[in-house]
Amino acid sequence: MALQSPSPQKGVPRSDVGQVADAMLMDDRVKWLAVVFEAKGPVEDQFTVTPYIADPTVV
Amino acid sequence: MKIVAVLLAVLLIAGCGISRLSSRQLERVAKDWSLSIRASQVIPVYPLTEDLQPGDVFLVQTPVEDQIRVYRDRGFLPLENQLTRLSVAGYPAFYSQWPGVDGAGAVAPPRLWQFPHGAEAGDSDFARAPLVAFPSYSFAVSRSGGLNVALPVQGVPIGLNLLDAASATGTITMKDAYTYGLPAQVLQQALEEWVAGNGAYVRQFAPPVPAAQDSKGAKPFFLRVVNRVYLVKTVDVSLLANRSGGGGADVGAGKAVELLNLGTEKETTRRFDEVNAIISKANHGVADAVAGELPGGSVKVAMATSRTISLVETFARPLVVGYLAFDFPILAGGRIGPPVATFSQLENRPQATGVPIQYTGCDPNCRVLRTWSKADPANKVALEKWLERFGGSIAIADFLTGDKADLRQRARETLIVQP
Repeated sequence: MALQSPSPQKGVPRSDVGQVADAMLMDDRVKWLAVVFEAKGPVEDQFTVTPYIADPTVV
Repeated sequence: MKIVAVLLAVLLIAGCGISRLSSRQLERVAKDWSLSIRASQVIPVYPLTEDLQPGDVFLVQTPVEDQIRVYRDRGFLPLENQLTRLSVAGYPAFYSQWPGVDGAGAVAPPRLWQFPHGAEAGDSDFARAPLVAFPSYSFAVSRSGGLNVALPVQGVPIGLNLLDAASATGTITMKDAYTYGLPAQVLQQALEEWVAGNGAYVRQFAPPVPAAQDSKGAKPFFLRVVNRVYLVKTVDVSLLANRSGGGGADVGAGKAVELLNLGTEKETTRRFDEVNAIISKANHGVADAVAGELPGGSVKVAMATSRTISLVETFARPLVVGYLAFDFPILAGGRIGPPVATFSQLENRPQATGVPIQYTGCDPNCRVLRTWSKADPANKVALEKWLERFGGSIAIADFLTGDKADLRQRARETLIVQP
């Protein structure tokens, strides 16, 4: 049994988006990431980071 | 009698033309057929076969990106490199109370429908198999396209020849269609047992541990496991000739369509019987010429006018026209990764990888483990193995910044040697 694919993470502060993305990309199956503005946080804006294993822009 | 001879010649010419066709023409026709099947959200099988069932495992050697290109160019994926057929016992549970499937000692699908009377030869009986309905497909055909031997439905070239038309438009309706399958979880368990028993064989396809400067590593190989198949017993073909007279030199004589210009009801019946007898006789010659393409079956004319014709093709036993599958990546050490739906992957559909979790920040253990796991590829592999064993196989990203503070503490104490 191998590791599960990484889950999307919500409530990620702007300054931490890069590190979360980096951790998600440690899984070789992840080819795309979506960073979506979520809300204005108490200190800085928060984002939802969603990993994809296929191009989400192609339908 | 002259007409009979002409029709027989037409049908035999259709079978003998294979040597003249280029592989490019054949591939184009295969793609057209496959695109129709793909429209039903099913991966096409070409040529049609009955020897494909849930639990069949194929080794996929090309990277996903290349597979998508092949799939788009050719319309289907060749079923090659079959490794094994998993022996799965999940049918009674999955088809609980389904007649014939869940009984004690019941024969597993599809054998109980293919050979309901045991090993002795006999008619197949899919009457109790799960039904499925496919939409009708419209298509345009041209004799110059080499269609008469490449399409897996022989009713089309026969109808085209009977109409004596160079080109036609038509519809294909797949009747008497069935489906059966197994859940991915059952197949994953069976696959893991097979991989455990054939570790040395699987490990030869495992990617090497990436070098420090090659953080992405080699592209993995996949084990593709079929989990559902779609079968068709009967195909209706209706053709409308764009214009007749296209046969010309190929046919070598008058218009075969005259056979179907009908008069009285009695005459209609007689001519239909006559035409169907000819087709049945000629089919043996065609089948011999394209062995493997036309696995048995029969074609009969159901309706005809001067410009249209409808034929009913019935296969000897239902044939698989499409399937669904999951791809399991072969990871380092010969382990297999979690499944990804093959169809979604081939169609390049977006696949989010899980339910959102709340970001909890990167605590000191997270920072230490992140630095340590990126310092050496071997450390990352060690962390993955530890998470498989003690962390419920959660992803590294979830582990680092999700609600797993206790787990991170244990991992740090276990994996990282304290100074």
